Amino acid sequence: MLGRFLILAALAPLAAAVPVVEQEAIPGLPAVKVQDLHYGDVLFHFYQHDHFGSLVRLAAYRDQGRLAVHARDAELLRGGLYLSLGQHREAREVFERLLADASTPPEVRDRAWFYLGKVLYAAGLFEESDRALRQVGATLGEDMEAERHLLIAQGLLYRERYDQAIAELSNWQGPRYWLAYGQFNLGVALVRAGEPARGLALLDAVGQLETQWPELMALRDKANLAIGYAKLQAAEPAAARIALERVRLSGPQSSKALLGAGWADAAAQQYQVALAPWQELQGRNLLDAAVQESYLAVPYAYAELGAMAQAVEYYERAISAYDAERSRIGESIGAIRSGTLLAAAMEAGGDGREGWFAQLATLPDSPESRYLYHLLAGNEFQEGLKNYRALDAMAENLAAWQQSIGAFADMVETRQQAFEQKLPAADARLATVDVTTINGRRDALQAEFEAAAAARDVTALATGQERSQIDTLDAVDAELARHAGDPAYDEAREKARLARGVLMWNLDGAWKMRSWQANRALRDLNATVYDARTRETASGRAREGAPERNAALGHRVEAVDPRIVALAVRVDEAKAAQGRRLADIAVRELEDQRRRLDEYSVQARYALATIYDRAAAAPPAPAREPTP
Amino acid sequence: MKTTFITFLAAMAASMPAFAEEAAAASAPEDRSVLDAEVQSLRREVVDLNRDLFMLEEDLLFPASTQVAVFVSMDVGTFFAVDSVQLKVDDKEVANYLYTEREQEALKRGGVQRLWLGNLKAGEHEVTAFFVGQGPHERDYKRGTTLQVEKGVGAKYVELRISDKASKLQPEFVVKVWE
Repeated sequence: MLGRFLILAALAPLAAAVPVVEQEAIPGLPAVKVQDLHYGDVLFHFYQHDHFGSLVRLAAYRDQGRLAVHARDAELLRGGLYLSLGQHREAREVFERLLADASTPPEVRDRAWFYLGKVLYAAGLFEESDRALRQVGATLGEDMEAERHLLIAQGLLYRERYDQAIAELSNWQGPRYWLAYGQFNLGVALVRAGEPARGLALLDAVGQLETQWPELMALRDKANLAIGYAKLQAAEPAAARIALERVRLSGPQSSKALLGAGWADAAAQQYQVALAPWQELQGRNLLDAAVQESYLAVPYAYAELGAMAQAVEYYERAISAYDAERSRIGESIGAIRSGTLLAAAMEAGGDGREGWFAQLATLPDSPESRYLYHLLAGNEFQEGLKNYRALDAMAENLAAWQQSIGAFADMVETRQQAFEQKLPAADARLATVDVTTINGRRDALQAEFEAAAAARDVTALATGQERSQIDTLDAVDAELARHAGDPAYDEAREKARLARGVLMWNLDGAWKMRSWQANRALRDLNATVYDARTRETASGRAREGAPERNAALGHRVEAVDPRIVALAVRVDEAKAAQGRRLADIAVRELEDQRRRLDEYSVQARYALATIYDRAAAAPPAPAREPTP
Repeated sequence: MKTTFITFLAAMAASMPAFAEEAAAASAPEDRSVLDAEVQSLRREVVDLNRDLFMLEEDLLFPASTQVAVFVSMDVGTFFAVDSVQLKVDDKEVANYLYTEREQEALKRGGVQRLWLGNLKAGEHEVTAFFVGQGPHERDYKRGTTLQVEKGVGAKYVELRISDKASKLQPEFVVKVWE
């Protein structure tokens, strides 16, 4: 009986575990001191996980020649970005080009080999990936080195080269996080290589990890589940229960663990105890295979306890639950065919990078959204949905550009019109300003000041009033000269001499400050004249090239418009095709579920019929009622 | 005992197809790989198109002769966590930016934010930035910095860098002009 029910054992997670830290995009990007502001701008978007935005900027800034200092870092990042977007061909091209360049420094080369290895691994080219990963030198950081090592081992596991994988992982010491994955995979390799005792011992160590990292908690659950089912199959129910009890009740493996715990109790003839985990499962989603099986397991336990009335009741409940679920699946298949599943999936997805599963809990229970959680747990659907989301984002991007491009065309036209309208007035204004003459006058002033300074001619910096006083004194002196020798003018001559002396004294006293002020005024004048000449040059350049520049911009706008339209059409077609593909995957998956429910339903009906047959054939006997 | 162990091995073998499916697309049906290839090709073309449009938009709206860009960067950031920045050019507010946690983190990791991209005539301009955030001991902190910028005929880039002045355990706001 036990063997008949153990369909779920096929779901025991004894595949290699792949660490999830790489979701932090591109680990190990070399730390650089940013020396190009624009490279920093690319990183600003990259560090916010805006991979598309940073890739676009990277490509634009590279073409604009703004990444000169960080050219190689930028290439490495570009390859990594393509890799993270799933553009394996482009990523491979970038890394291979970096490696072909003999001047690429060793640390960039090592990272390029590493990423190339990852690209090849993701494409399933494990031999080539292995070769690339083994080319890496000694410059990788600790985490990247650990990831490299695990990738090599996982590649060997995929190729069923268990002995080599064991050799690769056996004495490996890495950071704690990676070491746990290494131990888990070594355990898997040993079990597959026919050494279950050693393998399970390693899995047991992983199963007892003390950690706060959610990923390691999930790994611990997987290890415990694998041990639990292995022990169950090896008829060691007590050991199985110990491992299964270590699985978290809230984790994704909890249903399988509860089912297994019940089977461990049943194997030890503890049917009453087995009922507890199995009945706990009955409150859960019936699409979970463990929950489906629990509907058969509970009446089976009651039957083993001799409580035939409860067994019958629970078998009937199972049949009714299976039928109801089959009917709901039918409704959902209809909804999926009508396209509503994708709307729900998009609504649940948020920004497409994280939190899908958390947000699914908030969705209303409707035919189109009911099985999303289950579907999203499948790799094929999840990958397909990623593509669908990418296409949706591309469609939005193209639609936004389609709107902008119209405005761009208007802008070019308006600019050309404005230029043509303003040109005559601007030319007229410019004609009134002769910067060359102004410049000549400035030069003359400068020479005059320098001559006065050299001769210390204090009158050169006299104010208007002082200049007038000097002129008056010159006129007085001329008049007095006409009366030279006449004693009647002696007093006047003395007064004039005194007045000139006072004036010159004052001019001499003010000289220092005035010459400083004059110097400064000349400097300001120089700056103003320089500005005027700069503007004249800029204005000249702007006027000369403007029509050509506007025409070139107009051509660029014209050329890009049909590209947007053509791409938008192709994106829409691909999106529709991707939507149909997702619907096919979903329907196929749900039909598999329906078939399994059919099988369970047949088993329940068969068990029920057997009970009725036995009851009809046997004389009545007192029942062993279970304790509630 | 023997029977159950064989079942267990069968269970392990059964988990292999799923394992292989995760890694390789090689086993995918033809129509699926055609569609995947089309998605890849579209993504590449959309990236290229966006690159061209990004450059076109910049050439159109912010030609090099008048272009001025103001960037914000941060080194270490131990003594200052930036909440917002206000930017004035010639006493006119041109940007008022509130940072998300993710953006703060991106700055701390070495990202440089292009805060403002605009047009200025040739000649002298005054650029003033006010940073608001948490200073040492989680105290609210506001600091301003001003710079006279001489705009010539080429594009002008101004970097507002928040750095740590370890000797005074204070943040320091440095302005650097790039040609």
